[in-house]
Amino acid sequence: MSALAASTARYRHGMEPFATVLVRRMFATWHDAAISIVCLAFVIWLLPKLIGWAFLDAVWSAPNATPCIGGAGACWAVITARWRLIIFGLYPFDQHWRSGLACLAVVVVVVLSCVPALWRPVRLSLLWLGGFLTFYFLMRGGVFGLSLVGTERWGGMALTLFIFTAVAVLGMPMAIILALGRQSELPAIRWLAGLLIDTVRALPLLTVLFTAAVILPFALPDWLIGDKLYRVIYAFALFFACAQAEIIRGGLQAIHAGQLEAAKALGLGYWHRTWHIVLPQAFRNSLPATINQFVITFKETSIVIIIGFFEVLASGHAAYGTGDWTSAYAEVYVFIALIYFAFVFSLSRYGAHLEKRMRLGHD
Amino acid sequence: MNWVRISCAVASLAFAATIMGTGAAEAAMGDTLKTIKERGHLLCPGHNGTYLGFAEVDNAGNWKGFDIELCRAMATAILGSPDKLKVVPISFAQRFPAIQSGDIDLIIKVTGWTLGRDTELGLQFSQPYFLGATQLAVNVATGAKTGKDLNGASLCSQAGTSTERLAADYLTNLKIKYEMVSFEKSEDMRAAFFSGRCDAVALWGPNLAISISQATDPNKFMALPDVLAVEPQSIAMRQGDDQFVDIANWMLTVLITAEEYGITSTNVDEHKAKAGNPTVARMLGATPGIGKRLGLSESWGYDVIKHVGNYKQIFDRTLGDGSPYKMKRGVNSLIRDGGVLYPLVID
Repeated sequence: MSALAASTARYRHGMEPFATVLVRRMFATWHDAAISIVCLAFVIWLLPKLIGWAFLDAVWSAPNATPCIGGAGACWAVITARWRLIIFGLYPFDQHWRSGLACLAVVVVVVLSCVPALWRPVRLSLLWLGGFLTFYFLMRGGVFGLSLVGTERWGGMALTLFIFTAVAVLGMPMAIILALGRQSELPAIRWLAGLLIDTVRALPLLTVLFTAAVILPFALPDWLIGDKLYRVIYAFALFFACAQAEIIRGGLQAIHAGQLEAAKALGLGYWHRTWHIVLPQAFRNSLPATINQFVITFKETSIVIIIGFFEVLASGHAAYGTGDWTSAYAEVYVFIALIYFAFVFSLSRYGAHLEKRMRLGHD
Repeated sequence: MNWVRISCAVASLAFAATIMGTGAAEAAMGDTLKTIKERGHLLCPGHNGTYLGFAEVDNAGNWKGFDIELCRAMATAILGSPDKLKVVPISFAQRFPAIQSGDIDLIIKVTGWTLGRDTELGLQFSQPYFLGATQLAVNVATGAKTGKDLNGASLCSQAGTSTERLAADYLTNLKIKYEMVSFEKSEDMRAAFFSGRCDAVALWGPNLAISISQATDPNKFMALPDVLAVEPQSIAMRQGDDQFVDIANWMLTVLITAEEYGITSTNVDEHKAKAGNPTVARMLGATPGIGKRLGLSESWGYDVIKHVGNYKQIFDRTLGDGSPYKMKRGVNSLIRDGGVLYPLVID
């Protein structure tokens, strides 16, 4: 039995005491031991400083940053005083509950999308469309006695989530159409879809968004210009769709040719074949990569700050950008990093779980 | 595949036609005012984040600051209420495309009046409302009293900014030696200056005063009297609509005249009832004329002072003693107080 097999066997049975595992993994040879000791010393040196800064010496509540100045700790008072600005941005203060509910709707949709029972094209599309509409009407108002709030007052986490869900809801169908188009038997469609995908994928996201926000209004007739936010969302969705189309194409190509031939032999038409045989399997194949694409898209929403939107990073700037709080910028950035981390880490953990589950299915 | 080819051809023809059909971005006389009145609110630029003292956001998510107050004054002059204003958050780089595409009606966003903007960008400017001077601040420990005393000093600056260039030119002209320490972000630069990494820093006037007020010990730092450059800040509007430029100019004159005569939001009613001075009477609409000639209501001058206040009140609230910055008026005082502000004549 090789050494590797022996260690794997021990590992599987989990009979080894913790101390033995520790010694084998971290102190097996003298250079392993040296690296372990250096790393351990670094952690022991860093940890008390970090805890001191973040907790022990921190100022938790103050009317402005003056009590924090000269102190050794974090100035969390800026978060206590201005968290509503960071989360809800410029949204009218007395209507924050609407913005909060809207954000919750998006979180619920994302969580529900992780339930395997809902992994059917129709159920998933209905879920996302429903969540998106709930979000949109809660934020915008003008119905059910809610006051109308223009998009220039949308901001903070709510705007980040809105851009993310809108891009996902619009971009996903576009991605499917583009991926199928690229596989089409009609040369014109195949060629057009390929051209669009390769062109957009060759451009940086920022230039695509900048063109939509700033340059399109000069090129389009008045009736087509619309709101800047929606122009940017359409462009972002196109960008997402082109990247996602390639992921779906990967899923399509992984399907065994026999599947399609069997479907044809049964006499199923193109749409039936695609809807019942091809797409469900393609989705299943491309799910891990799709989740990765969602994570990337979520993080990339912060780029819209450059074209003047008040998303969560901009509202963070605004939170410390007043005379009372100018010195507390690091704390605001830490807070925003934690928000992003909470979203992205749970998404990527879920992706890892999914991969494990699928591998089990194939065994 | 004929139908594909035909529909492609039709689509591209339609696209070309729509692009040809769009006109130039110059505004016509009276257009802006008409659009704003029909829309029922004024569109003013905010910021993506905040710009200290000029456009900030309070805890409840409402805009405040000097430029925002001028937007409120403009909204009051045109529509009678400071609340008929929508502040659109946009970045600095985007303010010029935004006004040309009609996303905003005017630019009040610490915008300097320059030749390039006036001619090539198709903009028209109001009378300057604020004079921003670029100055040096030093660590008191250096003992420097003017720029000449900075021989051998190190200077913190923000990489690639016009302020950095101005400071380099100025110190070179004084024929003194200095070391430039560049930073990417203004927060880093300020932190370095306050921690003693460099002896001096060059900043735009309001930013300078605001930065010093935020130091751990503000008494350790002071501004030098040297003025490296001044940039007049004006309201920018689309070229071609002279009537709208008139409104902006006379709105500024009302704010300054009111300060000159001591008319504030609290005593404006007495002044209007008394109607002693003919200029004041015309400004407040007690003697009619000011509204009709500009296409506004006769009481617009009164409304602006009643709802927003005079220049001094706006300054005190946003930059002066009523704010965390405690800025001095300096050159932005009335002529009689040694500054550069003067009203136009209301006849």
